[in-house]
Amino acid sequence: MSNASLSAARDGNAPLGNARWQTPEALRRISRRNAAERRFKLIGLGAIVLSLAFLALLLVIMLKNGLGGLDWSFLSGSDSTDPDIAGVWGAAKGSLLTMAVTLLLSFPMGVLAAIYLEEFAPRSRWIEWVEVSINNLAAVPSIIFGLLGLAVFINTLGMPRSSPLVGGLTLALMTMPVIVISGRNAIKAVPPSIRDAALAIGASKMQTVFHHVLPLALPGILTGTIIGMARALGETAPLLMIGMRAFVVTPPGGITDPSSVLPMQIFLWSDEIDTGFVQNTSAAIIVLLVFLLAMNGLAIYLRNKFEVRW
Amino acid sequence: MILTGVLLAVLGLGLVGWFAARGRARLLHTGRGSIHSMPGYHAWHVALWIVFPALIAWGAWQAIMPGLVDGAVMADPVAAQLPADAMSRAAILSEAKSIADNPDAVAFNPLANTLAGPVRDAHGRFGLIGALLVAIVAVAGGGWAFTRIRANFPARTRVERGVLGLLLVASLMAILTTFGIVASLVFEAGMFFKDVSPIDFLTGLHWSPGSARGDNLGDSFGAVPLFWGTIYIGAIIAMIVAIPLGLMSAIYLTQYATPTIRKWLKPMLEILAGIPTVVYGYFAALTVAPIFRDFAASLGMANPSTESALAAGVVMGVMIIPFVSSMADDALAAVPRAMSDGSLALGATKSETIKKVLLPAALPGIVAGVMLAISRAIGETMIVVMAAGAAANLSANPFASMTTVTYQIVQMLTGDQEFNSPKTLSAFALGLVLFIVTLILNIIALRVVKRFREAYE
Amino acid sequence: MTNSKLTARNVDVFYGQKKAINNVSIEIDNGIVTAFIGPSGCGKSTFLRSLNRMNDTIADARVTGEILLDGEDIYAAAMDPVALRARVGMVFQKPNPFPKSIYENIAYGPRIHGLAPAKADLDGIIESSLTKAGLWDEVKDRLNEPGTALSGGQQQRLCIARAIAVSPEVILMDEPCSALDPIATARIEELIDELKESFAIVIVTHSMQQAARVSQRTAFFHLGNLVEYGDTSQIFTTPREEKTKDYITGRYG
Repeated sequence: MSNASLSAARDGNAPLGNARWQTPEALRRISRRNAAERRFKLIGLGAIVLSLAFLALLLVIMLKNGLGGLDWSFLSGSDSTDPDIAGVWGAAKGSLLTMAVTLLLSFPMGVLAAIYLEEFAPRSRWIEWVEVSINNLAAVPSIIFGLLGLAVFINTLGMPRSSPLVGGLTLALMTMPVIVISGRNAIKAVPPSIRDAALAIGASKMQTVFHHVLPLALPGILTGTIIGMARALGETAPLLMIGMRAFVVTPPGGITDPSSVLPMQIFLWSDEIDTGFVQNTSAAIIVLLVFLLAMNGLAIYLRNKFEVRW
Repeated sequence: MILTGVLLAVLGLGLVGWFAARGRARLLHTGRGSIHSMPGYHAWHVALWIVFPALIAWGAWQAIMPGLVDGAVMADPVAAQLPADAMSRAAILSEAKSIADNPDAVAFNPLANTLAGPVRDAHGRFGLIGALLVAIVAVAGGGWAFTRIRANFPARTRVERGVLGLLLVASLMAILTTFGIVASLVFEAGMFFKDVSPIDFLTGLHWSPGSARGDNLGDSFGAVPLFWGTIYIGAIIAMIVAIPLGLMSAIYLTQYATPTIRKWLKPMLEILAGIPTVVYGYFAALTVAPIFRDFAASLGMANPSTESALAAGVVMGVMIIPFVSSMADDALAAVPRAMSDGSLALGATKSETIKKVLLPAALPGIVAGVMLAISRAIGETMIVVMAAGAAANLSANPFASMTTVTYQIVQMLTGDQEFNSPKTLSAFALGLVLFIVTLILNIIALRVVKRFREAYE
Repeated sequence: MTNSKLTARNVDVFYGQKKAINNVSIEIDNGIVTAFIGPSGCGKSTFLRSLNRMNDTIADARVTGEILLDGEDIYAAAMDPVALRARVGMVFQKPNPFPKSIYENIAYGPRIHGLAPAKADLDGIIESSLTKAGLWDEVKDRLNEPGTALSGGQQQRLCIARAIAVSPEVILMDEPCSALDPIATARIEELIDELKESFAIVIVTHSMQQAARVSQRTAFFHLGNLVEYGDTSQIFTTPREEKTKDYITGRYG
């Protein structure tokens, strides 16, 4: 070894080269560091396992309490004061009607807004405001949307309280930003070369967007929409504000009838003193989770099946 | 349903116009360059001219029709028997309307029954006029557009301009929503602050709207215990659970897990974020709270309550884990690989690299993520409604029952109160505070994230 | 041969199914600069990264064959990659200072390896490394400023100082000047020339002129193969292989 001594560590008679790493002290140090490395990795794994254990506990308890209550009369019945008669169909139908209103409003609005912002919007202060408000709306607590629904739809516009119409409108305002954001990302992911190709053969900007960009972005938009809808389906707080806690013995016939929704039914039953409702609550939770699982599964399927990596 | 009927009729007319226009335009199309816009665009041009004016006319008619109906009913001889004061007059009138809509409804006031007839008549009459109006507008709009089908008419440009307008309107919905939120919160909260001074509200230590009466309203609407409960549950207890677990999960998933393990564990962790909050709330109340209560009892606490800040906070923390984890994931991923390579090449172990290089470099992103997580936690409602309790306690004891801003909003607005009492209005004041705080947290966090990303691009 | 610091024998490197390096054998000596040249994608950087096991950090990378450091197999089970990388340092293509102060950037290595038990030792290491890297006079008054505030060339010298601070035996440099302007490049090249007294230096470079200026030995890689290896003067004046000649004369690259 002819290397000139360089630093304090190599001055004096400190060993050089490999020998420096073979002293008992250095070996101890390395093994201590490797132990710390293993410990750290284990803590990371432990954090995930602990979180998932909580999830498992939640699911097991719901299944244990609720599976016994899942039968045809429960799935086809409506709310009742008697836990043995009470069923979930009335609330489920309310959820379906509410979701239909939400989807019909938020999907077209969200997609059109996403197209505008991504493809047509001029760079201006106005558009900046739109973007800021969309990003913020996506993070506004859901209960605030409930207050908006109460103040505007019910108190100002006089729409029927407790109805899927108002519930759907409120949730649509909440879901739209989610769809806009995912829609913009999906549209952004379509490479410019596609647009150039369409424009170069004489398609108008509008034709380019609706014939080429939108179809390619659609799987991404749909995935985002389903995720947004799943969130809306599980939402309770804003609906509590607009009074969707009606005691509904018959399923609602239309979007203006008083109705309840699945999560609200869970909340109402959880408050019942009669212990028979514990089973009903858990069973309703199972039904809700099955719906959500199906929706998320569909979203994942769509993403895997149609998503193109450019 | 009149709504669906009119809608279907208008759309049907639109469809007819679409086909008619296309047929006409096709006749003009004799070969390349013979026509400015393809027949399809002429079809859309006509269809839009049928549908939009008709819908606008119908909407306008809907807005003025109730006034016309009321006027007609008042002019009816039966209305002469109505009591003079406006309030009971309006009550009977609205009862009559509901009977007119639904003949099975039971009338509370006999007068309403007799009035139902005129109401129904007026409804029918004005409904018919409205339908006619809509039809005329649709036909007029469609006819005008139809006459413009010529070879050189730029239908495509016109249609595209219309669509662009539609896109613009859709994107303005976001601003409208934000404006609606701000306006309704500010307006209702303003009514509340007429009765209770904002200073009493923001600094008062005593919250008991139930006993609020007379002129000392300010003493019963001190929201500090609510703010404290919100911060204690959402920003302290929940974060003590969510930050370490979420951060360590993200570190494991991004730095240690093999791609296969990551592919399985990440979606499983995300399930936690997809579970509705009402389910968490029920789980907190049913399972977690009793465990903590028994634990508190075993510590020798007298009469521990079932509803505890701890139960709500811990469950909320678990709910937030995937959120913190995915924000931390993004933040860690944004740190360039060169940074960790630099550390590894010096002979640092992976954990040393993570702790001393990666985490400090990702810190702004992680902090922003935590801010967003807090904003989400303090706005969370169902878990606290079901597990935290109604008592406005200013306490640091995690086993105590505690209430939050969101809990009180729900409390004030459910149940039977008249709408304009200070009690219900206080919910909007609380909502305003919540909105402002989450807005500030979000804006700061998004700024930090943006600057952080730019720093490494 | 007695002076050989690093020896590679029949080394293959795979990324998943793809073979990036094919049967490379080479000896790298102490006290000189060895340059790896070749067209982009020829595997020179890949091979460089396998010399201090940085390829371990890529999930599906696999190295077969033998690489010996002072006669010890660096891929042997007994070899700790952590200790190895302290002995075989690396400087990257783009300067990658940590987002910390200049002082902390250099102190990081000695601290994790426990090379400086006392603050005075650490200060000594920092001064000597920065001096060696020719940066001391420029930064001695602002050691607490962030490393990222320096110019590109200074950042790269900071990264070199950071590598020197753990007193490695070999320094690997992966196109260290490709992100720098000509003046900063000249400064780094001078530095490399000074440093070869103390370390075995391997430099991957895209520029043949650079290889000719700074190195004493040159290895020419092409499509994962080591085509030719010899004294730099010989490679650039009388290459034995046709491919080397083509590359040197600019037929492709």
